[in-house]
Amino acid sequence: MSASARRRGIVEPVALAIGLIAIWWITATILQSRVFPNPLESIQKLGEDLSRSSFIGSIGATVQMLALSFVTCVVVGTVLGIGLGLSQFWTQALLPVCYAANSVPKIVLYPIFLLLLGIGDLSRFAFAFMSGFLPMFLLMVEGTISVSVLHLKLGASLRMTFPNLFRRILLPTLVPTIVTGMRISFGLAFLGLLLAEMFSGASGLGFELLRNVTQVRMANIMGEVILIAVIALIPTLLITWAERKVHSRFGID
Amino acid sequence: MWSVVVVVGFFVIVELIVQSGAVSSFKLVPVSTMATTAFDLLGDSAFLVNDLLRSVIIIVVSFVAASVLGVLVAYAMWRWGACRRSLSPYLNVFYAVPTFAMYPIMVVLFGTGSLPIIALTTAFGVVVVILNSLNGFNAVPEVVRKLASTLGMGRTQYFKKILLPAAMPDIAAGLKLCMAYSVIAALAMEFILSTQGLGHFISYSYDSFATKDMYGAVLIVAMLALVANIGLTRLLSKLDWRRR
Repeated sequence: MSASARRRGIVEPVALAIGLIAIWWITATILQSRVFPNPLESIQKLGEDLSRSSFIGSIGATVQMLALSFVTCVVVGTVLGIGLGLSQFWTQALLPVCYAANSVPKIVLYPIFLLLLGIGDLSRFAFAFMSGFLPMFLLMVEGTISVSVLHLKLGASLRMTFPNLFRRILLPTLVPTIVTGMRISFGLAFLGLLLAEMFSGASGLGFELLRNVTQVRMANIMGEVILIAVIALIPTLLITWAERKVHSRFGID
Repeated sequence: MWSVVVVVGFFVIVELIVQSGAVSSFKLVPVSTMATTAFDLLGDSAFLVNDLLRSVIIIVVSFVAASVLGVLVAYAMWRWGACRRSLSPYLNVFYAVPTFAMYPIMVVLFGTGSLPIIALTTAFGVVVVILNSLNGFNAVPEVVRKLASTLGMGRTQYFKKILLPAAMPDIAAGLKLCMAYSVIAALAMEFILSTQGLGHFISYSYDSFATKDMYGAVLIVAMLALVANIGLTRLLSKLDWRRR
C-alpha cells in the first residue's frame, strides 16, 4: 500500500464519521426537541454519569463480568472444540445438534437460566458465557476437522505422543482459528451480557440503559451507547490486529 | 442418525429429572408438557395473531429489507472505491458493538411499536449481507470483466448477467446468516421492551410465573428458528452453483 493510499484509507472513514455527526447535530438543532439531544449534550451527560460512583460501579461490574465470561468461553470452547473435533463419531453425532442449538435465538432461553440459576451474577455470567461459547466451540470443531490428515498421519508414523502431537501439529494449525473465534465470541458475549443486564440487573451498563429509558433521558442513553461502543471496540481492534499478525505468521490467508 | 439419538436422549433425561421430582415443576416442566402447551398455544388465536404472526412478519420484512439493501450497498462499495474505503472499517467491527444498545434510543423516539424493531433488525442483518456480497463481487475474475467489456455490456447488464450470478453462492451464505440474525434481533428486542410478539410473550410469561406457557413458547421459537434455517438452506443451495 502506497503512502497516499494509506492516507486515503484513514481520511475517508474519518470524513464519513464527521459527516454523520454533523447530520446528527443539524437534525438535533432543527428538531429542537427535548428528547433528541445533540452530540455535545450527549458527551456532557456521559461526563456527568462518569462522575457518579454508582455509574462507575456499573461499568466495573459489566467489564468484570465480560472479561470473566469471555475468557471462560474462549478456554472452554477451545478445549471442548478440539476434543470433539478429534473424535469422528462424536462429531457426527453432536455437531448437527450443536448447529441446530446455535440457530435458536439465545435470548428466549434466558428466562430458563433465571429459573434454574436464580436472578443474579451467576445467571448473567452463564448467559454471556453461552452466547459466546457456542460460536467459539463450533469454529474450533470445524478447525480441528480440517487439520490436514496427512499431518496427523505423519505424526502417527513418527509415533508422536499426544502432547507432542498437540503442541507441534494441532496447536500451530489452530492458532488462527482460535484468534478468529475470539474476535467473534467477544462481540456475542458482550451482546449477551448487555441483554441479560437489561432484562434482569441491579447494576451494569444494560441496567443503566434501561433505567434511562423509563426516565426518557435521551442524552444519557446516547452518551452511554458511545461508551459501550468504545468498550467494545478497544479489545476488538486488538484482537483484529493480533489476527492479522497470526495469519501472516502461520501462513494461512 | 446418532444426532437424533442424542436429542431424544436429552429430552428423555429432562423428562425423567422432572418426573422424579428432583427439580420443582415451577422451574422446569416435563418435555411432554412443553409439547402439549406448545400445541395449545398454536390453537390460541390471540397468541397466533398478536405474538406469532407479528414476530414472523417483523422477521420476514426485516430479512427482505436487509437482503435487498445489503446487496445494493455491496454493489455501491464494489463500484466506488471511496464508498468502500469509508464504510469498510465500520462494517468490519460492526458485530463487536452490541447493536441492541441502540434500541432504547429508538424506543424513546418511536415508541414500543414494530417500527423501531424492524429498523434495528434490518440494521443488524444488513451488515453480514454486505460483507458476504462484497466478497462475492470481488471474487469475479478479471478475465470475465474484460470479456464483458469486449461484448460491450452496459452496467445494468453486467450486474444482472455476470456480477449477481457469479456472487450468488456468497450472497446465499450471507442471506442464511442474515435470517439467523433477524430472528435473534427481532426476538431480543421484543423480549426487552415491547407489548406484543413472541419475545414479549416469553418474557411476560416468565414475569407472571406462567412457566408452562414460557416453555411452550420457547419450544415454538426453537422450532420456528430450525424450520426457517433448514428451509432457507434448502432454498439457497439451489442458487449455489459452486456445489452443483
